[in-house]
Amino acid sequence: MRMRMFGLAAILLLAVQTGHAEDKKITIWWAQWDPAAALQELGHEFAEETGIAVEVYQIPWPAYQDQVFLNFGNKQTDFDIVVGDSQWIGRGATKGLYLELTDWLPEAVDVGSIHPRAARYLCEYPPGSSRFFAAPCQTDAIGFVYRRDWFTDPAEQEAFAARYSRPLAAPDTWEEFRDVAEFFHRPEQKRYGCSLLTGRGYDSIVMGFQPFLWAWGGAWGDPQSYKVQGHLNTEGAVAGLEFFKSLLQFTPEGGTNADYFFNLEAFSNGSTAMVLDYFPFYPGIVASMGDQVGFFMVPRHGDQRVISLGGQGFSISTKTTPQKQEWAKQFIAWFSQTAIQEKWISYPGSFTANTELLASEEFAAAAPYNAVFAESLDHLQDFWNVPVYNELLAAAVRHLGAALDGTSASADALDALAAEHEIILMEAGLLEME
Amino acid sequence: MRGSTGRCRDWTQYAFVGPALILLIGINVFPLLYSIALSFTNVDLVGGAWKFVGGFNYAVAFKFAKYGAALRTTALFVCVAVAVELVLGFALALALKDRFSGRAFALTALLVPMMLPPAVIALFWKLVLNGHYGILNQCLGALGLGQPQWITDPDLKLLSILLVDVWMWTPFMMLIALAALNAIPGYLYEAAAIDRASRWKVFRRITLPLCAPLLGLAVLLRATDAIKQFDLVMAITGPNDPATQTVSALLYQVVFRDGKVGLGAAYSYVVLVLVLALASVFVRYMSSVQRREEAGAQ
Repeated sequence: MRMRMFGLAAILLLAVQTGHAEDKKITIWWAQWDPAAALQELGHEFAEETGIAVEVYQIPWPAYQDQVFLNFGNKQTDFDIVVGDSQWIGRGATKGLYLELTDWLPEAVDVGSIHPRAARYLCEYPPGSSRFFAAPCQTDAIGFVYRRDWFTDPAEQEAFAARYSRPLAAPDTWEEFRDVAEFFHRPEQKRYGCSLLTGRGYDSIVMGFQPFLWAWGGAWGDPQSYKVQGHLNTEGAVAGLEFFKSLLQFTPEGGTNADYFFNLEAFSNGSTAMVLDYFPFYPGIVASMGDQVGFFMVPRHGDQRVISLGGQGFSISTKTTPQKQEWAKQFIAWFSQTAIQEKWISYPGSFTANTELLASEEFAAAAPYNAVFAESLDHLQDFWNVPVYNELLAAAVRHLGAALDGTSASADALDALAAEHEIILMEAGLLEME
Repeated sequence: MRGSTGRCRDWTQYAFVGPALILLIGINVFPLLYSIALSFTNVDLVGGAWKFVGGFNYAVAFKFAKYGAALRTTALFVCVAVAVELVLGFALALALKDRFSGRAFALTALLVPMMLPPAVIALFWKLVLNGHYGILNQCLGALGLGQPQWITDPDLKLLSILLVDVWMWTPFMMLIALAALNAIPGYLYEAAAIDRASRWKVFRRITLPLCAPLLGLAVLLRATDAIKQFDLVMAITGPNDPATQTVSALLYQVVFRDGKVGLGAAYSYVVLVLVLALASVFVRYMSSVQRREEAGAQ
């Protein structure tokens, strides 16, 4: 009997201990893609070092935003850290969903090593305020992948030089880009000039339009007063939209509604010369196409080169226990160390905001797109990241879509969009009512 | 004066009905009333402070074009989908009414689309209709025909979703029409044959009037279902595409993407009132048809 009691006690003790070990865990929610799998790998390393287990729960991209904010509606979230899109930060900060890290982050992380554009758009709210609600996880930008083998083909080079009186090369300006797209556009051979971002699902049309808006002198609005009229519907912005639209004649069929996955497919199937997408999607292309491909930055117009920012930061949920928040902070501090960042960027599709690493020759040589990526970061800019970003985004998708589909003139579309954005910003209490 | 057995029976009745009633109140009546209250607030999906905003949400629902546009898209979708499904379903039922070899197989095959989950069907058709690698365009290409961009061309998006809906729900109409056709007594056709009535006259005077009540019911059921169209839109074009944004898709966008629960509740009540008004007109019309038929029979 005594032995039996002893055995029972031992089992109970073991069960309690196991329970405690399982509890010492943080859960991270992120979208389902290669960098999330890489984060899980690093999480295992962190668990070995600290005894705090890390589970990275991956949600398919189309459902990611909806699931995160639905979960935030609960009293307690199922995650301790969310790797949130840059645009979410305003909603997370003002609705009390993201833990403020202003006091903690500069002490735990070398903030000076974070690329200023990443710090501004991924970590701070309002941008540039030095109030932190996130730490960089995945820094991202859009950039072009192109068919290097087509560009270096002597026959193509000769034909291009004869037609445009300059050598065929990766374009530096949008005007050069148009010529190259026009040159390679041969639909009768099932070969197309380019594919840009014009999809209507979430934000791809906005990410695709922004470089034109900014390069032609327009803006989404004044970040101080939140006035939109006179910024978004200027002559320059209309000209930018018109130029954007003019390039769509060189896209494959369906190119007026091309999202990130459409573009990947358009390039992978060997039909398109130049495709715009986010850098983390490119390792797969390099793996399958090798040195047939090259990369170049989003072109400039005049001296204006502005690139749509992507990427996500680590934010700690306010709706989790203080203990888990502490573990979450430990993980973020550990992840942000240069040595760990070095490991992080060794995984395909994982990018850093660490300026020391970005400037290193090792990073530039590690992958064919790395140098272009590092250079792109200096030109990053983001869409609104105010709490009503999603309404602004949805309105932009509708009006820009109407302009690209030809159901609305460019000027009318931008006028209507500016008016709707101002109403949304007024309702949100950001823009003063007149 | 009732005895103890009577009182006991009363309590037993309540005991049986009670749980179902509580469940009904808990998951139907309470949310209905609660959402009316929410429609006068600015409550956010993720919680936080909220306040009473009076009729502001209702004003927004009437002020912005997108809310009216979603209603128009839904109305167009319901009218076209239900009409086409009714005609095709009835035609199929007429073709399958008489027994022939392979009838059972044809019937089973035709019912398959109706039995599949709408989300699966939507994803399946999204692949079929893909302008690049979809099998439909590959077939059209092989025949030397054009390459319509079914799910990206603004003029074709709604048509594509209608096509999928018709493919999916025509069997439902066919099934009900078949039941109605089988319920028509054979002697009516025999009498018509003796009177040498033409096929068209038989169809117009016997088949159609006797099927009408059940077909009306099928139309009502399909219309109420089509008004809620969400799955196909969500999976094929997404909830924010103005060309295909139905009321349900817009509600999803407003509540789950923008987080505006109050505005979503207000808009859903505007839609509810409109649907109830239309439904009552339809029900009255059906009743009058039935009364006329009964009067004719007498």
